Amino acid sequence: MMVNRPWLRMVCVGVLLALALGQEALASRLDLIQKRGTLIVGIKSDYPPFGMLNAEGQLVGFEADLAADLARRLGVQLQLVAVTSTNRLQKLEEGSVDVVIATLGDTPQRRQIATLIEPSYYASGAAIIAPPNAHLSNWSDLRGKKVCATQGAYFNRAMTQRFLLDLQIFNGTRDTKLALRDGRCAAWLYDDTGIVGLLSDPEWGSYESPLPSMMVSPWAMAIAAQERGSPLERTLSDIVADWHRSGWLMNVEKRWGIKPSQFLADTHNLWTRTGSDGNPVCTRQANGDWPAACRNKLLLSSTDVTGLYHFGLLLKERAGLDLTILYDVYDRDLFLAGLWMTLQLMLGSIVGSLLVGCLGALVAESLPWLRGLVRLTSALGRMTPPLLLIYLVFFGVGHIMVSHYGWTFDGAMIAVSCLSLYTGCAIVFTLLEATAVLKHQEPGFTLSWRRLPRVLRLAYAAVVASLINVVKATGMASAIAVPELISASTAIVAEQGNPAVMMNVLMLIYFLLVMLVMQIFNAIERRMIRHGVR
Amino acid sequence: MAFAEIVQILMVWTPFLLEGFVWNILISLVAMTIGTVIGAVLARMRLSERRMVAGVSLTLTELTRNIPTFVFLFYLAFLIPVEFEFAGRLYLFPAWFKASLALSVAVVGFVSDNLSVAWRHWRNHDRLAALLFVPNWTTYLLIIVMASSTASVIGVGEIVSRCNVVIAAVGSDEAMLWIYMYAICYFFLLCFPLNWAMGRVKQRLLAHVHRAAV
Repeated sequence: MMVNRPWLRMVCVGVLLALALGQEALASRLDLIQKRGTLIVGIKSDYPPFGMLNAEGQLVGFEADLAADLARRLGVQLQLVAVTSTNRLQKLEEGSVDVVIATLGDTPQRRQIATLIEPSYYASGAAIIAPPNAHLSNWSDLRGKKVCATQGAYFNRAMTQRFLLDLQIFNGTRDTKLALRDGRCAAWLYDDTGIVGLLSDPEWGSYESPLPSMMVSPWAMAIAAQERGSPLERTLSDIVADWHRSGWLMNVEKRWGIKPSQFLADTHNLWTRTGSDGNPVCTRQANGDWPAACRNKLLLSSTDVTGLYHFGLLLKERAGLDLTILYDVYDRDLFLAGLWMTLQLMLGSIVGSLLVGCLGALVAESLPWLRGLVRLTSALGRMTPPLLLIYLVFFGVGHIMVSHYGWTFDGAMIAVSCLSLYTGCAIVFTLLEATAVLKHQEPGFTLSWRRLPRVLRLAYAAVVASLINVVKATGMASAIAVPELISASTAIVAEQGNPAVMMNVLMLIYFLLVMLVMQIFNAIERRMIRHGVR
Repeated sequence: MAFAEIVQILMVWTPFLLEGFVWNILISLVAMTIGTVIGAVLARMRLSERRMVAGVSLTLTELTRNIPTFVFLFYLAFLIPVEFEFAGRLYLFPAWFKASLALSVAVVGFVSDNLSVAWRHWRNHDRLAALLFVPNWTTYLLIIVMASSTASVIGVGEIVSRCNVVIAAVGSDEAMLWIYMYAICYFFLLCFPLNWAMGRVKQRLLAHVHRAAV
């Protein structure tokens, strides 16, 4: 239909003009800031030492320093505005602030309503405050322990699931503080940036935060949603990248007495790394984006990456299966190293158990005066829970060895020795029984090194059953932090939060390994039968 | 650290550790109960006339033999939620019960194998040979009691994890050796007499069986 009425035509032209002008106005927020001569930044006033009020009522802190440097680099004055967690994004939207630097975690949901600047300038995570001498060196030390937490923290649920904590949830930080003071929990699960503020309080001086931060959530600067791809976004992004390259952020952190964060150290390393061609790894690609390696891993989608990584993320997006051991290089190496260690443990335990069993039986049969002792020792060995034996040797004996002689032992060696001892004791009895049977059949039969194969052949089924059991039990080495399959899997679950996938993979692999060992023993038996070994 | 001091520490903490050991026995008994019930069903199926039923039972028994209990413990700990809702009410799924479930898998295989043999003897009116199941079952219970110490790795408050609590509370590294040794004594005290008694029962039963056969 032709538009022939003049007033309608006028309206149309007017709307188009307004849209075009509007577009012009939007694209030049950076121009606006420069024309105004002032950068307006929203920061927090209640989150020391990141954003707080000083004695003169001025906004100061880590984030205020970042805002000041932004203004300096843009060559304009700075105006700070106090914002809260609830109104920070709203203030951006209505245009009353240009930039928000207010402890804002980068999430896909927030990316829908604001433009978040990559790279992130800081990160927070879940950590604990514990009383002095709590003897915590590892997150798994908290398994099954009572841990206090404050309601509403984003990590409560996930941390419970990943580390099997017995979480006691309190309404506010005041209640949680009291509970920790009264010894109602072993530790308090809290935001690591909150802990920084708390530990600076002399009242909490003796408390400590001994464990590394988990579930790290990067903090991003935010600008209005319509600024995506604008010169302002690009300028800010370049400034943050420069902060990381120069290590300036770590200086600001130090200035405010914050415990050096792993995030800043890692990011500094990443942004100063050079590739094989001599150029920095983190340089803008042809399309203007940062390469995937320099972006926030948790927020990448399958369209951002290629190859196996693309396939892995696609599987995660479509089917909810997060197989990080397939596409994440770090996880894959960790898992393969665990698999290799488990194979070594299995082989070591089989050989060790056979050695203990055969030697025990030989000694008992050839040295009659030692027979009683061997039998007693074997009986005791069979009645010591292997896990307790591992602890006893690793911690108890290990401590004495270190403090008196300065010797340290490898955890894997200790696990193999203890498991071999336990299983070997059972094999001693099996072999002695088989010897008794042979003696009954052939008077004058004595067990010797050369006749050992006959005894082993007779006791084959029972010995193999013991060996299969020790193969299944090799996972116990994880209790003393030997980096085998279970340790690797729980570490990946802790980092990625994918217990369903990892536990099924772990179970399947162990199942297949046990089956493989069984098949090998069956094949050996078939061979023996074929060759007429009886 | 003086000997008297160590004895003093062990005495003070004995009730706490003893309570932990009661948990070990409880976890094991629950595991044996669950495992025996399921294992008995499998054993009965193995004796079935229908080859399909017997085959299914054999496959399931084989499956339980391949499942490593220790790994299964982690599997259940991570995958069964801490609480579950049933008929509009929230129930807790305690960690010790997860441990019992994990251990019961091994019991299923054991009972399926041993009870099907005993059942056959019983049918052949070989009652004494069938009774051998009782000492075998009790000996297996002791193996499970020892395995129940692994529940400590998922945070169940049994004797081994209580040892670690005591060590942290005492704050002395030298005490470690003695506390673990003391805990081992509990296992000896339970297992030694029972194992010996069951060995005797088994011998006497076997002697009767042989005499009957001759």
